[in-house]
Amino acid sequence: MTLENVLLVSSVLFAIGLYGALAKSNAIMILMSIEIMFNAVNIAAIAFSRFTVPAGLTDTPITVTQQAVQRALTGQMLSVFVITAAAAEVALGLALVIVVYRQRGTVDVTDLTEMSG
Amino acid sequence: MSANVNVNLLTPEFILAGMGLLVLSLDLVLPKARRGILPWIGVAGLIAAVATALIYRWDRVEELYGGVFIADRYSLFFFAFLVILGGAVMIASVDYVKQHIKFPGEYYGILIFSILGMVLMASAGELLTAYIAMELLSFSLYVLVALRKYDSKSNESAAKYILLGAFSSAIMLYGISMVWGVTGTTFYDGIAAHLTANPDLDIGLIVGLSLIVAGLGFKVAAVPFHMWAPDVYEGAPTPVTAYLAIGSKAAAFALILRLFSEGLLPAIEDWRVLIATLAAATMVLGNLVAIRQENIKRMLAYSSIGQVGYLLLGVASLGVVDAGGAVVFSERASTGIMVHLVGYAVANLAAFLVVAVVYSRTGSDQISDYRGLAKKSPYLSLVLSVALFSLAGLPFFAGFVTKFYLFTAGAEAGFLWLSGLAMVASLVSLYYYLRVIQRAYVDQPSEGDEETAVERSTFFVPLTSWLMLGVLFVGMILIGVWPTELAAAADSASDALGTVRDVSTALVR
Amino acid sequence: MVEDYFRQYGLITVFAAIAMVVPISMLLMSWMATKIKVRPRRPTPVKLETYECGYGPVGGQWTFNARYYTFALLFVIFDVETVFLYPWASEFGVLSAQFGVFALLEVAVFGVILGIGWGYAWRKRALEWR
Repeated sequence: MTLENVLLVSSVLFAIGLYGALAKSNAIMILMSIEIMFNAVNIAAIAFSRFTVPAGLTDTPITVTQQAVQRALTGQMLSVFVITAAAAEVALGLALVIVVYRQRGTVDVTDLTEMSG
Repeated sequence: MSANVNVNLLTPEFILAGMGLLVLSLDLVLPKARRGILPWIGVAGLIAAVATALIYRWDRVEELYGGVFIADRYSLFFFAFLVILGGAVMIASVDYVKQHIKFPGEYYGILIFSILGMVLMASAGELLTAYIAMELLSFSLYVLVALRKYDSKSNESAAKYILLGAFSSAIMLYGISMVWGVTGTTFYDGIAAHLTANPDLDIGLIVGLSLIVAGLGFKVAAVPFHMWAPDVYEGAPTPVTAYLAIGSKAAAFALILRLFSEGLLPAIEDWRVLIATLAAATMVLGNLVAIRQENIKRMLAYSSIGQVGYLLLGVASLGVVDAGGAVVFSERASTGIMVHLVGYAVANLAAFLVVAVVYSRTGSDQISDYRGLAKKSPYLSLVLSVALFSLAGLPFFAGFVTKFYLFTAGAEAGFLWLSGLAMVASLVSLYYYLRVIQRAYVDQPSEGDEETAVERSTFFVPLTSWLMLGVLFVGMILIGVWPTELAAAADSASDALGTVRDVSTALVR
Repeated sequence: MVEDYFRQYGLITVFAAIAMVVPISMLLMSWMATKIKVRPRRPTPVKLETYECGYGPVGGQWTFNARYYTFALLFVIFDVETVFLYPWASEFGVLSAQFGVFALLEVAVFGVILGIGWGYAWRKRALEWR
């Protein structure tokens, strides 16, 4: 496993999510595709934090500098925050989609045409 | 990571957060009849927050957690501006909420949270913090847009908004993770250091930065990422539309200004043309499409897209390359952006407040229904005309001065053609603003015409709205004839952006 | 030892490859059979129907009970809380040595904020099965 491989997985996932978000017309499917995009971000962040280990953390004995720790941890922090933000985003999105569903009996975004122009 | 972090620095933000929670939970325990005091509690909290910030942070330049949070004149300027703006929206919406929104506690509580998100966007010195702050603002806005739960337009626009908003933040996050992966830092100054050391951009960095720009473009509704704006603006409750058009845009530009001037300035040669193109497309398309709108909220939505174009012109001229090849930060451009944001905010809020009052009386947002407004309520139509003239940039009103600052900065940075285009676009905007004014003042009902909604209804302007409109009216004139104080404040904020901060308290990065 | 570890992953890869190749080749053979006119293609409405245990499929769209979502949403919020509590808990020793009681208070504030959210849901009767 190298950085390139994991980034490839991440970018493929991102592309899948992007395609789904643009091509699907079911609002729930779009939310799921967006979730896939968020997870692609997580994978990329974790991969960067795992594989671009800064000098200092690979030496033996390990010389821990604050810079090195920060460098290694930023990616993990990023993914923790992304998980939270994604959960909140999808929770809110689902709630709004349900409101629309109750009112119109459809979750198809191509039917959301009350306003246009 | 030092133990002696000066958490006191965050007191104004803590006040805001506490106030939001307080208003939300008071709503749960107060009896229905007494919920009218909620907005005033909120406004008191906002005043306390601004006062604390002004007193405590006036001459303080400090960083928290190694530069994650920056307190300087720039943050302070936007803190005061955004919180006052939020307070104004809050007061302006009292009557509307009473009449149309069933959840006052949620409305005011979430409004305060969104203000917190906005001020954090202005003081974030790092991409991840900026992102989280932006999400706090966005989530609050999603809920606010949807608050007229039983109105199908409100629902529809909220669903569209959150789908596109989530999509754009996913794109922006991918950009952030790419930038972090390549540069090894998410701090703006760290990115600047990387760009200075490596003038040839890495492909990953190009992709990452483009994705970030695309994500931010979505948030400010710049063409070609503007599709959501008209629908959301039309469907949202009118005070929320005003807030969307002003607050979220001002906060996004606060973020953009800091990111571009502190982080991306060394690579200005690589992005200035791109931003200038976006600016040109945005001001042309926004103003042209606004011409054929029949719904006044939609028209104002497109006109605010046009305003984003002017602001992007300022962003594109943020730096000039001097004879020696070094990039010099243009304080004039950033001052222009800030001044224009303030002028635009005052005028736009006034316009939307008139629209909200008219809607409350007539239930209509159609421009054709504005006939007879001058007779029914001279006050409303006077404020509306001044607001629209100010948005168009006629002399003596705020818009003229602020546009003057902005376009001069653009011309100085070498974007003469763009400044010219902006002036032409302003002329076009004058045309469709005048249509509304003509409707209100000139048009007479001819034989056989039905009465318009305005002519049918009885008119009175509620006291809070009346007072708020008066304040905004004075503000528009005052900025128009005497802009020196505002410009001085913006200047000192730009100074803070231009200077390298003392990073003795910061971590090594 | 490390080689063994990766060899096991290799086996999984082989299985995955076979699992991909078999259905793809079946579909491919069927398609080729159509091309060389061995298998005729005469679609009827019944043939084109989605296969669902021998009966005609019932209901065009899937439906959901919106009540589940209220609970799912509340669950997710408190579920994600753990994402923050776990790193805090595993580093609590270090944190409390450095920051003292502040390390505990900070998470208490976090909990209180979530608690307000929970109280809100309770008060709005989102926790009742209606």
